[in-house]
Amino acid sequence: MVLADLGNKITAALSNVTRANVIDDKVVDDMLKEICNALVASDVSVGLVVKLRKNIKMAVNIQEMAAGLNQRKIIQKAVFDELCNLLDPGKKAYQPKKGKPNVIMFVGLQGAGKTTTVSKMANYYKRKGFNPCVVCADTYRAGAFDQLRQNATKIKVPFYGSYTEADAVKISQEGVELFKKEGKDLIIVDTSGRHKQEAGLFLEMQQIAEAVKPDNIIFVMDGSIGQAAFDQASAFKKQVAVGSVIITKLDGHAKGGGALSAVAATESPIVFLGTGEHMDDLDSFDAQSFVQKLLGMGNMKELMST
Amino acid sequence: LFSKLTGNKVIQAEDLTDSMETFRQHLITKNVASDIATKLCESVATSLQGQKYPSLSSIKTVIRPAMQSALVRILTPRRHIDILRDALEAKKNKKPYTITFVGVNGVGKSTNLAKVCSYLQQNGLSVMMAACDTFRSGAVEQLKTHARRLKVEVYEKGYQSDATSIACDAIKHAKNNNINVVLIDTAGRMQDNAPLMMSLSQLVNTALPDLVLFVGEALVGNDAVDQLTKFNQALIDLSKDKNPRTIDGIILTKFDTIDDKVGAAISMVYSTGAPIVFLGVGQSYTDLRRMNVDVVTESLLRG
Ligand SMILES: Nc1nc2c(ncn2[C@@H]2O[C@H](COP(=O)(O)OP(=O)(O)OP(=O)(O)O)[C@@H](O)[C@H]2O)c(=O)[nH]1
Ligand SMILES: Nc1nc2c(ncn2[C@@H]2O[C@H](COP(=O)(O)OP(=O)(O)OP(=O)(O)O)[C@@H](O)[C@H]2O)c(=O)[nH]1
Ligand SMILES: [Mg+2]
Ligand SMILES: [Mg+2]
Repeated sequence: MVLADLGNKITAALSNVTRANVIDDKVVDDMLKEICNALVASDVSVGLVVKLRKNIKMAVNIQEMAAGLNQRKIIQKAVFDELCNLLDPGKKAYQPKKGKPNVIMFVGLQGAGKTTTVSKMANYYKRKGFNPCVVCADTYRAGAFDQLRQNATKIKVPFYGSYTEADAVKISQEGVELFKKEGKDLIIVDTSGRHKQEAGLFLEMQQIAEAVKPDNIIFVMDGSIGQAAFDQASAFKKQVAVGSVIITKLDGHAKGGGALSAVAATESPIVFLGTGEHMDDLDSFDAQSFVQKLLGMGNMKELMST
Repeated sequence: LFSKLTGNKVIQAEDLTDSMETFRQHLITKNVASDIATKLCESVATSLQGQKYPSLSSIKTVIRPAMQSALVRILTPRRHIDILRDALEAKKNKKPYTITFVGVNGVGKSTNLAKVCSYLQQNGLSVMMAACDTFRSGAVEQLKTHARRLKVEVYEKGYQSDATSIACDAIKHAKNNNINVVLIDTAGRMQDNAPLMMSLSQLVNTALPDLVLFVGEALVGNDAVDQLTKFNQALIDLSKDKNPRTIDGIILTKFDTIDDKVGAAISMVYSTGAPIVFLGVGQSYTDLRRMNVDVVTESLLRG
């Protein structure tokens, strides 16, 4: 499983606390050090790890004052809560509704997996009874048109794009209008890869967003990304209204933490995980149950209610 | 008198612990893989122990130069790869010079293949591309687009055909038509995907390119180490040859997207010892650079 390594290390750090005879500052500090090292080794942004450490320490200290409480459970819960916070910005993700045209725009860094995931998501909602279609607004990358068109053919959904038109804003607008007229209820717009260092590319993204007025903008991030994740994700969020995140390539050995940092940076929930190159390799995602699995805490509910 | 004032404190392990931990954290914020940051700090600490230092200066001013030379040492290639020289040499011998580009999905293999193509053309060589990514949608058209723009030939057999035989046929074709260089594009794959790694090893060990370039992106975090070691190991383990091919060099792409978080350079070179041959610094054909070791080292230490 994704982040399994991290889960094991955190569980081990927590069980050291359970095994300790007396819980003092040193026990807590050792545990925090282990947890933080594990997070950093999983590519979680160093800034976030520092914050998480402070929060746990505070939660644990405050509680210590109230005598008679079960310290171990308090520590476990503090860790669990912080991990959930990292993964779950507390906002509900946009859910496409049938009977109206839902316009979804994909954005992200170069090679993150946007085009592939656009196709996988169309395929996913087609199975749920939607009428999805895809628009290629990537006029930049060589072969982008053919890539999305071939995927659309594979999953049998309508495709809009142009070999010759260089204006991505124009294409996206035309495509979305056409599909709206045709009564499609899920219109997914694929855009070029871009990065914060190139202002022109970010401007184009804003213009496309203005032109197609998406109901949701999905930020796609590669699961193996490292410490650059947080800054890039924040920059995207500043330019357009990112509403959800999809993390890709989690079928490999990716640590996933960089992408989790993107969740914190965009304050947007993860909606899907990409787990392969095939059209079915898409898993829906729920933060709470994910953290529970991560920590191997089947009995977390019980823990939460104490 | 002078020698009495300076060099009068011997460095003990304890003196280093806190500052070394700060350095380790610093390297990690620069995106050096955490295992490698740890190892690096340990070896720098070991090298400093027992040395004398002027007690007036702080321990940090002693660590910094030691760290700097360690980083420079890692990044300075033991084996220099000059593809232009080697390709020109092969041309003299009327043999096509062949390069295979390998790596995980979406890192920039095909784009940087096109950049290398343009670079070699600029230097008077005739180049051909071989479209051996027969899996990913649009991969063949992507390469054909680059080839059309750069006015070179692509050897392609569409999708669903066998990558190894395309590579071998392309090399034969180049030989028969006096083409100087063949650039072989391969499909991206995850280093843990055994069947796909098997077929890559087959391609490399059958087509026997002159150079195997691993393409990795500067954005990658801790996975960099695993990618490099597993690609290298797969080429060795899955080969039937006694002297299997391994990764010769690295192209580090998307270097324009990471500001000063340049740590992936360290993680990758440290993992196999293969040198960074080029940096990819953008999406156009001219966005290919040689790495300046001092500049990268400076970025790592700064801040
Ligand atoms: N193994 C694996 N590969 C993936 C996954 N998602 C995408 N890929 C691969 O990653 C590579 C890049 O994917 P694309 O969909 O082209 O990425 P993109 O973000 O559209 O790229 P640009 O348009 O160039 O910015 C392709 O080889 C995909 O097959 C995944 O979940 N797992
Ligand atoms: N900013 C930037 N983008 C790059 C660089 N190199 C490649 N890219 C972009 O990264 C994306 C993926 O590049 P590709 O060349 O298709 O990557 P690939 O490794 O061949 O991908 P697959 O064949 O799908 O595994 C494209 O959008 C490229 O334009 C670079 O140095 N800088
Ligand atoms: Mg794309
Ligand atoms: Mg490619």
